[in-house]
Amino acid sequence: MRLAFEEKGADYLLATRDEHGNVAPVLLKKGDEPGTLRVDVPYQMAMILTKVNKFVKEGKIAVVARRCDERAIAELVKRDLLDQSRLNLIGLACSAEQVKECRCTDPCPSVVDFGECAEPSGDDASVARLLDMSLSDRLGFWIAQFRKCNKCFGCTLNCPVCFCDECLLEDKTFTPEKGIPPGLAFHLIRAIHLADKCVECGECERSCPVDIPLLSLRKMVSQDMKELFDYVSGDSERRSPLLTTLEGDPMEDDANVC
Amino acid sequence: MSVDHILTTCPYCGTGCNFFLQVANRRVVGVVPCKTDETSKGSLCIKGYNAHAFVNHPDRLTHPMVKKGGQLTETTWDEAIGKIVSELKRVASAYGTDSIMVLASAKCTNEENYLFQKLARMAIGTNNVDHCARLCHASTVAGLLQSFGSGAMTNTIPEFENADCVLVTGSNTLEAHPLIGARVLKAKEKGAKVVVVDPRDTPLSRVATMSLRQQSGTDVAWINGMINVIISEGLHDKEFVDSRTSGFDELREVVRGYPPEKVEEIAGIPKDDLVKAARIYASAEKAMIAYAMGITQHSNGTNLVRALANLAMITGNVGRESTGVNPLRGQCNVQGACDAGALPNLYPGYQSVEDDETHAKFEKAWGGKLPGKKGMTLTCAFNQALTGDVKAMLIFGENPMMSDPDTGHVEAAISKLEFLAVVDIFPTETAKLADVVLPAACYAEKDGTFTATDRAIRAVRKAADPPGDARPDWKIACDLGKKLGSEGFEFESPEQIMVEMAAVAPIYGGVDYARIEREMVRWPCPTKDHPGTKVLHTESFKIGKGVFAPVEHTPPAEETSEDFPFILTTGRNLFHFHTGTMTRRSVKLQREAPNPYVEVNPVDARALGISDDASVRVSSRRGSITLSARVTPWIRPGTIFIPFHYVEAAANRLTNNALDPIAQIPEFKVCAASVEKA
Amino acid sequence: MNEFNPNILAFCCNWCSYAGADLAGVNRLQMPPNVNVVRVMCSASVKPEYIFKAVSQGIDGVLVLGCHIGDCHYLTGNHRTAKRIPLAARLLGKVGIDPRRVRLDWVSAAEGEKFQQVVTEFVEDVKKLGPNPMKEVRF
Repeated sequence: MRLAFEEKGADYLLATRDEHGNVAPVLLKKGDEPGTLRVDVPYQMAMILTKVNKFVKEGKIAVVARRCDERAIAELVKRDLLDQSRLNLIGLACSAEQVKECRCTDPCPSVVDFGECAEPSGDDASVARLLDMSLSDRLGFWIAQFRKCNKCFGCTLNCPVCFCDECLLEDKTFTPEKGIPPGLAFHLIRAIHLADKCVECGECERSCPVDIPLLSLRKMVSQDMKELFDYVSGDSERRSPLLTTLEGDPMEDDANVC
Repeated sequence: MSVDHILTTCPYCGTGCNFFLQVANRRVVGVVPCKTDETSKGSLCIKGYNAHAFVNHPDRLTHPMVKKGGQLTETTWDEAIGKIVSELKRVASAYGTDSIMVLASAKCTNEENYLFQKLARMAIGTNNVDHCARLCHASTVAGLLQSFGSGAMTNTIPEFENADCVLVTGSNTLEAHPLIGARVLKAKEKGAKVVVVDPRDTPLSRVATMSLRQQSGTDVAWINGMINVIISEGLHDKEFVDSRTSGFDELREVVRGYPPEKVEEIAGIPKDDLVKAARIYASAEKAMIAYAMGITQHSNGTNLVRALANLAMITGNVGRESTGVNPLRGQCNVQGACDAGALPNLYPGYQSVEDDETHAKFEKAWGGKLPGKKGMTLTCAFNQALTGDVKAMLIFGENPMMSDPDTGHVEAAISKLEFLAVVDIFPTETAKLADVVLPAACYAEKDGTFTATDRAIRAVRKAADPPGDARPDWKIACDLGKKLGSEGFEFESPEQIMVEMAAVAPIYGGVDYARIEREMVRWPCPTKDHPGTKVLHTESFKIGKGVFAPVEHTPPAEETSEDFPFILTTGRNLFHFHTGTMTRRSVKLQREAPNPYVEVNPVDARALGISDDASVRVSSRRGSITLSARVTPWIRPGTIFIPFHYVEAAANRLTNNALDPIAQIPEFKVCAASVEKA
Repeated sequence: MNEFNPNILAFCCNWCSYAGADLAGVNRLQMPPNVNVVRVMCSASVKPEYIFKAVSQGIDGVLVLGCHIGDCHYLTGNHRTAKRIPLAARLLGKVGIDPRRVRLDWVSAAEGEKFQQVVTEFVEDVKKLGPNPMKEVRF
């Protein structure tokens, strides 16, 4: 992995390695002692990259990125939040087990430097089960799930494509609940804000301490985006349909609106 | 330019989550959860995610200050330390060393607390050292010590996931220990039954299998009631009771006086619900009890803890995985501060100061004379300050002006002191009254260890330099010790302190920094090759047989009256921590819960003509505060709840400092109060 | 039993639909009285957040009315509305709230009668759906 510096000509490497008996994200500079680098623990590197990028203003950063990171980075680049020319992606293919956990339909990075591409997962059984329910059963299911929420904001903070400085979810106008759990609107607002950028990485579900099946909700919204607009987020070329006119022309200059 | 990720331990509750502090150019800028950490597993709560927010706050204390002409003015370390040393010496020679009180801190590391108690015992010469465990789990330490022989959580946090039944009482787990609450929910997803007994409807009770709402201060009644149901239906574990416990017959006699009908009368829990809950708990293969302040902060707190221990032992739920009696400790290192001996009656590792052999052992280890008689507790110290028996206090990282009951009383006590020195990171309400204030480093600016509620010893690592002249508490304690003329304070690093602590406290015997780097060690861990202990009391109790305590229901110290018709109970909310020193300086946390409030049931609100958000005055026999009403069905009619984080309406102006006779813990959870429109 | 009278929120754009509603009033067209009109500058300023907040607090139906496509005072404001409101309605369906509780339509300043017709239809539709289940939910 040291080759990343020489082959790809990067100044920094964002990866994960062993530290204090744990696996830690690490930003290495050229010439730093690498330690024992690891690729098996699924940190969402795109999220860590956005945080690091705020402070590292110069030089090229090589990032160990899985397919979902790659797609998240594409969304961020489109919105001028990352500079593609300063990035080098080191492609990491997810293990079959990880693909299964995320019910991932697109697991293979465009360039594979590490690992072997696993078969994409088929239809998501948990989404199918939810869609089979009657409306009232489905509402009951989600209410029971959302009731567990203790508003840690983990789903937002760990999300690679959540980028607003001032989060609407912290605004009492829309989530007026005092204390926890926040109500239904909290989760719906988050779902719609991510509609045109969620890359289904599943980090929200993984970091939810109370196991709310957030990825299923995201997948259902993505399905709607596909049906309504034939759009799949993570597309590096196409502008979000929510930011274009009905004819598909760009609507606003500031494409990085939430 | 560099961005580092430093693995450290959360400074808030006692769960002991590890996370990475993100550090850009030596400045702490963010928090990233650690996916491989056994406790947090890549999740955190809102406080954890905001644990970096107060570190660079402009209010941080940066220079030592000494009171001159009634004003705290900046000065040098030499002058400030010199002043403390000369004042302590003066007070000691004028009134004796026992007129000095040292308050250690559950926010400081094990190493620092070890030094604080050594400072009190060796350098000053008094056992008057205590810390805020007196206000939270003193009754646990006392109660479980008598019942089991060890005052700590019997099992570990990850075990919650595999329990068949979790009985939660007096704990708002999802708000106060979010990640433990999350584990309880995981257990429920796997099919476990969760029973919550609490006078408030908490976020956890709303998703629980069963939720019982008892009248505040009637806990012995319902616990005895459950034991009675279990024994009379023959659901108790006869083999366990026969082989591992003593005192069963006396217990049976006492609980016979608590039939379900009577419990309903006392505690207001419907009798069928009580029977059902008792059956759920007793018939589970592995049942855990989790409790917190709702049990301990009563004037009969020790009895309550013992009653819970009775319940666990009667059903054989001790000494196996996913069982036990589990006090959830509320501060990042309150467990460690107790372990390190910051208690007036115990040396490090829970060794009695009045035991001659132990006393001799410590005199030999530390190379000096030690006081033989046990010291006074924190609550007692403020009473004694008022009577003039305590003349000087040295407070490390505590804020008794907010945290102790009956603030008016504390204020009067402090004003009678001849000398008060405070070491803290922020200008707290207590620091404002001090003669000398020293600036300390916060958790992100020093190395050390915290001991989590489940006895896991977790590393704290330095991520940034302290602001201005601030120094870590261990250095301050070393300086004070040396200047007071004592030996044994020549430490160069926290690691060296741990070496000494491991040598004198057998439960930490096998602990060293190299091990903590590699693995999660839980005490007792007597030797280097000992793996640490997950479940306590597996083969036998530390005192041989577990002791049943036949305890009777006693009413709370203060009952409601015509003038004060409501029961006031206090506690935390999710977004703030204790006296708010840190969380109220964290923008996002402050935004979530910016103002003090009192929870009132809609029935009471209607009778009083109060609407939601109306300004109300809440009074008790000791004082009154004005704050806004939060009308909510989640609280029992007749009971009101105030979180104690807010200085502008400090709940502890109202609370009662009636003490438990054994543990000397104050009754924060029950006092009589009135509510009126302001 | 009392007949169910739905509580309905109608967001009307300032330039067309609100004027249309006004015209319906001036012409004394008969309409069910269940609708509370909220005047907004453009249908595009009706963020999905508003709808979610209304629905999660128990409003039975939300009507979003704007200028016809091509007539937007802000040129393409209603293009945005046309895309995001259906998405928001579908999302409600995904968590178990009937998407028919949200309706998007275009009413110009001259279409007093259309306003009457849309409102009447929507109130009937929502009546058939029954009360918003969120009314009974306490988190």
